[in-house]
Formats: sequence, C-alpha cells, structure tokens
Amino acid sequence: MTESVSESVATSGPPRVPVTVGVNGVSVSRQVEPRSVLVDFLREDLGLTGTKVSCELQVCGVCTVLVDGRPVSACTFLTADADGADVTTVEGLSDGQTLHPLQESFVDHFALQCGFCTPGFLMMSKALLDGDEVPDREAIVEHLEGNICRCTGYEPIVEAVEHVAEKLRGGPHG
Amino acid sequence: MTLPPFALVRPTTLDEALRELTEDSVPYCGGTELLLAMRAGLHRPDALVDLKRIPELTGVRAGDGMLVIGAAERHADLATHPLILERLPVFARMEKHIGNARVRNQGSIGGNLCFAEPKSDVATLLMALEASVTLVSPGGRRTVTVEELIVGPYYAEKEPDEILVDVRIPLRDGLRGAYVKFQTMERPTVGVAVLADDAAGWYRLGVGAVGEVPLAWSFGSLAEIDPDDIASRVDPTPDLAGSEEYKRHVTAVYVRRALAKLEQVSS
Repeated sequence: MTESVSESVATSGPPRVPVTVGVNGVSVSRQVEPRSVLVDFLREDLGLTGTKVSCELQVCGVCTVLVDGRPVSACTFLTADADGADVTTVEGLSDGQTLHPLQESFVDHFALQCGFCTPGFLMMSKALLDGDEVPDREAIVEHLEGNICRCTGYEPIVEAVEHVAEKLRGGPHG
Repeated sequence: MTLPPFALVRPTTLDEALRELTEDSVPYCGGTELLLAMRAGLHRPDALVDLKRIPELTGVRAGDGMLVIGAAERHADLATHPLILERLPVFARMEKHIGNARVRNQGSIGGNLCFAEPKSDVATLLMALEASVTLVSPGGRRTVTVEELIVGPYYAEKEPDEILVDVRIPLRDGLRGAYVKFQTMERPTVGVAVLADDAAGWYRLGVGAVGEVPLAWSFGSLAEIDPDDIASRVDPTPDLAGSEEYKRHVTAVYVRRALAKLEQVSS
C-alpha cells in the first residue's frame, strides 16, 4: 500500500524535509519540518494516537515505537531520521481481529491499570521478544527498567512478558 | 513540547560537514543530549549538521595496537560488536548497561563524549583505558586524550569547527577489566572502572558520576588501590543522587566491589 499526500508548503521557516516512512506496513510520504519529532508525526500528522507522550526526556518510555525493529523514544527522534525506515507502533501489533500474544498476556495478567504506559511497555517487550534469545525474568526486568508505570503495576507486567517468553521457549522457536 | 525551528543539513562526506559547521550550525547525531538541551531552551542552533551519513564516523576496527571506534556508532551496536566483544569485552559490557535500551539505540559514543555529561559511563571507562579521540577541523586533525577533552561538566574542550571523528583505545593483551555502577535513577550515582594488565604491571582505576568530571589514576599493583583513599580523592557534587558524604561512602563501596568483580573476570 502506498499513500502520498502533497501538503501545502510552509510559508516560512527552514526548508521542509521529504520523508517516506513505512508505518505499520503502510508507506507514507510527507514533507516535514526538520524539527518534527516522530511522536508528533505519528499522533498529529497520521492520527495514530496509540503512542503516548509524557516526560519528553527519554526516561519514561511511554512514547516507545520500533524503528527498523529497534525501540526508540519517539519524543526525541526526528521524523527526518525515520526516512526510509519501518516504524511499528502499538496500532501495528494487532490486525484488528486478533490480539498480539503480548496484548493477550497483558489482558490475562491484568498488566495494566490506567493503561497510559501500556503502549510503551508493549513495544519495548516486543523488541525484546523479537531478539535472537528468549529472555529470562532477569533480562525482562533489565530491558524494561527504562519504562515507568505510574500505577506501579510492574509485577504483573513482568509476569505477562515472562508468560509470552515461556511460550516462545516451549514453542517452535524455543 | 515543540522544538525550536532549525534547518537540517545532511552531508555525506567529512569535508562537506566541516564546511557546514559554524557557531550556530552544530553537529547532530543521535540527539539524545542535543534535542533535550534544545527543548529545554539551553541551545538554539540555526541548523543541525547530521553526521550519521559520513563513512569516516562509522565502523569499528583494530590496528596498530588500537581499537578505533567511529564517533557515530551507537551504544547498542557497540555492546554487541564482535570485535569489541573479542578484544575489549569490558567496554562492551559497559555499553550494554548505559541509560536504557532506547538511549542505547539512539545515542552515539561521540555525542556522549562531546556533551561531557558528568554521569557518563563511557567517559569514566575510556579515561581509565587511557583512550583518546581524533578531532578534525578545516585546519587539520589532532588527537587528544579523553582526559584532556572532558574538562568540566557539559564542557568538552572542542572548537565549534571541529568534529569528533573517532575514539581510540589502546589494546592490551591479557587485559582484565570491570565496570560497576550504582544506579537508582536514569543516571548512575557512581561508576567505577578497574583495569589490570598484570604482565605489564599496569593498573588503572576510574571513578565517575560522583563529581563534575570522571577521574582516573594509575597504580603499580591492585593492592595499592585503597578504597577509602579513593573516596577522599574524589570531589563529589551534592545533588538528588546524594550528599557529598554519602557519595564518598558509595565511592569506597563501589571501588571495593569493582576490585572484587575484577577477581571474577578473565578479560
């Protein structure tokens, strides 16, 4: 799928930068301001509001998205740097009918309360589980230590990820 | 919060990048420090000169007894780089635990040094390793030690027209090394590096994060390293991570732990 929209050119300010980004499998081309950060591009330009914003300091992790499979803080990632890359957001986890195993597990383990941090935790966890090694509990805790849950529901979050990891270990990839 | 406006320049050669740099057109790589400083209103450059497309700033190689790391290399890649794992595993182990996984995917080793963040794990270990950096300007290139580069908190001795191209770490056969840190927030309270080249009788200790800049010292043997003496040599900055007295205390504790950990590692 390819979508191309020509936007009105800004009347002032530094020249815009052309970007073509694969967002959850859809190729999107836009002219963005150099200062555009990925989270604003996703939320405001594309309407993908699943990704949240909070600290804007790369500390809290709620804005985590995957760029070419690697977790980054979308609040501090220039959209221009995503040119040519594949970006996966929380909206890309499910096909709209079936939940991703991590989403299922978060539901089953009550791994969310207010839910604001959940997209970030899901994307961080996906990056970890997509890696070469199936992580143990210690690796999960270490990987998620840069994500903050203000409701302090860390235990069920770790259990939810651990559950999916265990299934991977027992399954065809184990 | 929206960033202030700036132009983005993306050179593909070092010469082109050098021509673009001015007081108001500054080097940009991972953005983990620069974009935060800009958002906080501490910096307002007219243009960012993106260094990520310049081949000289990428790659890791070993030669002439040195490990040479391109300045634009990201922490996550250095943590798993086969050559670093083989030749300087203590450096890979340190890189694996910087900041958080997102910072490691975005931040570069050169940017880390240029920002001279007082709590940088990278600077502490590099200082202990007696590493140096290559700085290139339109006038030529010079090599300075990391100790000479990092002269104050958030202050690297680098001219606005210079680009940090690579980091050079002397390689030592049979080197053993440990880096340990105490961290409860996003940055460490203290980081301690201890290195031993027994055949050469070369021993180094580095302590960072407690004060304005990391410090490193040479010793003739591991037995000469007295944790309480080290705690008296550092100059802690009281902050949210603790008082001066507390930081001296954790410094001594972590020097002891680093020495204990060194006994458990073979490389």
